[in-house]
Amino acid sequence: MKRYVHILLAGLWIAATCHACMKYGPEEEIPFDFSNDPHGVFITNEGNFMYGNASLSYYIPDQKEIENEVFSRANGISLGDVAQSMNIRDGSGYIVVNNSGIVFVIDVNTFKIEGYVSGLLSPRYIHFINDSKAYITDLYASRITVFNPRTLEITGHIPTEGHRSTEQMVQFDQYVFTNCWAYDNKILVIDAEKDQLIDSIEVGIQPVSIAIDKYDKLWVLTDGGGYSGNPAGYTAPSLYRIDAASRKIEQEFTFNLGDAPSELALNGKKDTLYFINKSVWRMDVTDRQLPQTPFLQYNGTLYYGLAVDPFSSEVYVADAIDYVQPGVVYRFTPEARPLDTLRTGITPGTFCFK
Amino acid sequence: MKKKLLLLPLICLSSAASAQQDSVLRTLDAGEVMVKSQRLLKDIGVQKTSLDTFSLRENVTNSLADVLSQNSSIFIKSYGRATMATASFRGTAPSHTQVTWNGMKLNSPMLGMVDFSMIPSYFIDNANLYHGASSTGVTGGGLGGAVTLGTQAIQDNGFGLRYIQGISSYSTFDEFLRLTYGGRKWQSSTRLYYASSDNDFKYTNYRKKIFETDENGKITGSSYPTERNKNGAYKDLHVLQEIYGQTGNGNRWGLSVWYLNSTRGVPMLNVNYKDEDQSKNEQKERTLRAVATWDRLSEKLKLAGKAGYTYTDMRYIYSGDAGDHQPIEMIHSQSYVHTAFARFDTEYYLNKKWLFIVNISANQHFVKSMDRAVQTVIGDKSIIGYDKARLEMSGFASVKYRPTERLGIALNLREELYGNRMTPVIPGGFIDYLVSEKGNVVLKASIARNYRYPTLNDLYFMPGGNDTLRTEKGYTYDGGVEFTLKNDRMTFRGEISAYDSHIRDWIVWLPTFKGFWSPVNVKKVHSYGLEIKGRYAADFSDAWHLMLDGNFAITHSVNHGDPINWADESIGKQLVYIPVYSAAVSGKLRWKSWLFGWKWNYYSERFTTSSNETATKIGVLPAYYMNDISLEKRFSFPWADFSAKINVNNLFNEEYESVLSRPMAGRNFGLFLEIIPRFRYRQP
Repeated sequence: MKRYVHILLAGLWIAATCHACMKYGPEEEIPFDFSNDPHGVFITNEGNFMYGNASLSYYIPDQKEIENEVFSRANGISLGDVAQSMNIRDGSGYIVVNNSGIVFVIDVNTFKIEGYVSGLLSPRYIHFINDSKAYITDLYASRITVFNPRTLEITGHIPTEGHRSTEQMVQFDQYVFTNCWAYDNKILVIDAEKDQLIDSIEVGIQPVSIAIDKYDKLWVLTDGGGYSGNPAGYTAPSLYRIDAASRKIEQEFTFNLGDAPSELALNGKKDTLYFINKSVWRMDVTDRQLPQTPFLQYNGTLYYGLAVDPFSSEVYVADAIDYVQPGVVYRFTPEARPLDTLRTGITPGTFCFK
Repeated sequence: MKKKLLLLPLICLSSAASAQQDSVLRTLDAGEVMVKSQRLLKDIGVQKTSLDTFSLRENVTNSLADVLSQNSSIFIKSYGRATMATASFRGTAPSHTQVTWNGMKLNSPMLGMVDFSMIPSYFIDNANLYHGASSTGVTGGGLGGAVTLGTQAIQDNGFGLRYIQGISSYSTFDEFLRLTYGGRKWQSSTRLYYASSDNDFKYTNYRKKIFETDENGKITGSSYPTERNKNGAYKDLHVLQEIYGQTGNGNRWGLSVWYLNSTRGVPMLNVNYKDEDQSKNEQKERTLRAVATWDRLSEKLKLAGKAGYTYTDMRYIYSGDAGDHQPIEMIHSQSYVHTAFARFDTEYYLNKKWLFIVNISANQHFVKSMDRAVQTVIGDKSIIGYDKARLEMSGFASVKYRPTERLGIALNLREELYGNRMTPVIPGGFIDYLVSEKGNVVLKASIARNYRYPTLNDLYFMPGGNDTLRTEKGYTYDGGVEFTLKNDRMTFRGEISAYDSHIRDWIVWLPTFKGFWSPVNVKKVHSYGLEIKGRYAADFSDAWHLMLDGNFAITHSVNHGDPINWADESIGKQLVYIPVYSAAVSGKLRWKSWLFGWKWNYYSERFTTSSNETATKIGVLPAYYMNDISLEKRFSFPWADFSAKINVNNLFNEEYESVLSRPMAGRNFGLFLEIIPRFRYRQP
């Protein structure tokens, strides 16, 4: 009998020794210092919704080198769930992590956390008004959050009167324009001096992306609802050119029904507009019709993100592949000549140039 | 007389399983390990794992997910305590495991899968796992396998009562009550289970930090916070009423009605920085399942009919408060499912060598699925979704032939209809051969082709549903050997099987250029591996008894689809969240009225990316080792049996995540008290 009891006890002992096998715990912190690289590019990798696997990549164009997961490696914690966007101001990077409900502030050279803004519902984008005021839009809250970048304290809110989804922001004079994407058709106009919603511009269904060019023309891209049965409607998408001063639509460029344009971006001089519509397209901001020849031909890959380096006007295009493996970013000259290909984190989405 | 004996194995099997019911459950000896030297015609070549009563009644808190995880080679992907648990059978997707309850399909017509955490193990009297090709004898679409669950009439006469109360860590309370009546002509059983928990266990959060700042707001230090599991509270109520009757001439009737009402918080990720009162993520389900059964046994013929109905109302709400105390619904997904079910079975024993089986089943689904958290452009509430009905039918014919005592051959044919489409014929071939009567060494092999048709969400979900999807196609080969060694004091039963399976047109939801996700037939998966099962039971003396039950599996489930583009590194890689190696061992040691139990469970690392990225921490979940122990003392009085049991889960207080960003509970405890009064108490 004792023999069998010993077998059982031996089994328990083996199990106990395996205790040490279950590797889980603090992540090692790695020191970075990229203060000698003035033109680095941050790539926010969204990760997958409810997976908590967002990450931040840092690319040095001059050296064609990339460092992945720099946030977690520098700080010993995860970036969070769905890294939505990033902005830089005064040497600090503001990373909006949508479903974690937080904005991390990091040193752009060491990637070390300097602070954070919490108490947010579903933050999307940041826009800086001045050194002591910035706005954060939200996918679900019917208000824009106002915070002080110096203290990182929330100082107020701007009600958006029933418009739940506020997205990207651009500024003309004292007026901030933001697009209401989800089930909406409005561009809201905020007076940044009074922190008040003062006007709105009706455009097509679901304005998905906005930009403002060197001539102070506001460009708005709608996705037309995306599918038949959308309660907001389903129409052909459009690109709008709106005069920011008068807030009047000057021209509407209509796509085909079923197209899904997105990701408006301007080059460094803000005279050339880029967007994705299966292929990557480019047009001069003075053009009076949509381009006929793509900048980058669709080849079966779903391009997910697009940005243009404001310093070099080089073009970065993100490919999320199957969205459950590290994605790829392609870098091109303004003449569409390939320069580099980078392996990033999962679902590379937006770019931020240092 | 001879003819009557042909049906005996069937009846014996049913009786034997019943005999293992609650009253006999309390014993543990070698004789209890069911060793069926009688090789049933019905099971020729079938790779089948039967979960015994010990496994199903191990703990009142267990769901079927816990039982399968510990007692089978099925990998259970669990998101935490009382949260969704799905099965991967031989490395396949959750929708590739078909599950029936008293013959009626449990798989959601919308999603195709079953949440095993919603099935209390105390509500199941018999459970069988049909591996790979063997599932075609149960239903179509089980590209990984099938699980049959059932309830059955009690064998005891008179009134019976069993009551268990459990008090566990994190304010967890479990109540189980079973009232039974057994008479000569009819039997009744009422089971009630109620579980509630705050489920707010503490854990060290290694995904976040608390920062210390100086007077200028500069960060001067940091540490990992100790947090509580947020938003994880749950309340589950299950009621099961069964009535069985015999009306003579071999006719038996039954009615089983199972109602569940569940409200479960979906715990916040450990990378979520919102306060608990700022975010609510909740799943509510109300389900009613009812099955009426009729069986008629005669000399050569067994007839059975079933009719059933399922109603499910499921709600998933994700809401948040932006700080103005006005909760905002971000997701409000609601679905209503009505399913009418009918099935007819015939088994005809021509003689002791031939068995013919024919059955046909039908499920008529009515599904309404919608997201209510939608506004129109003018701010009105709106909904999007679909409202569809679909008839699903399955016809099955099988011939089983045992030309000699040693050899058995079987052929299955199945045909399925869904909506106005039909799958191709699903054929299956089975063979077994008794190599040696000594040790009861039996070789088994099988081969089958199988198809799984798309779910209603695959076809019609708004947005993204794709009504041009094709059926998934699989074929699988099995081969294995089983043996039994037995003497007066001990029994050892072992089984080794290998399989090779190919699935084409695997349905995967992928993003479209329009921004939303849509299902497509893209993946080609090769799944192959080894399954080893062993059970050892010994009586060392009248007082000492030992039982060890173990399983080990090697599961390669490899993506061989076409790459999406040149950069796609998922080809040739293991599927996400499928461990290559898994093992579990359960041990029970009884000394007189004391019972010590130990459970050990292991999974090798699981990849979280399709390219099996290992360079980053979030790409791999480390290997998982878990130990649970229990100690039970029974007290027996002439008028009642009592027991008191203490459980220690996660004995070594492991810190871990079983799914990315889902923290799991550390060491936790449970105390369970049970009483079984003897209503038919007689003075000795």
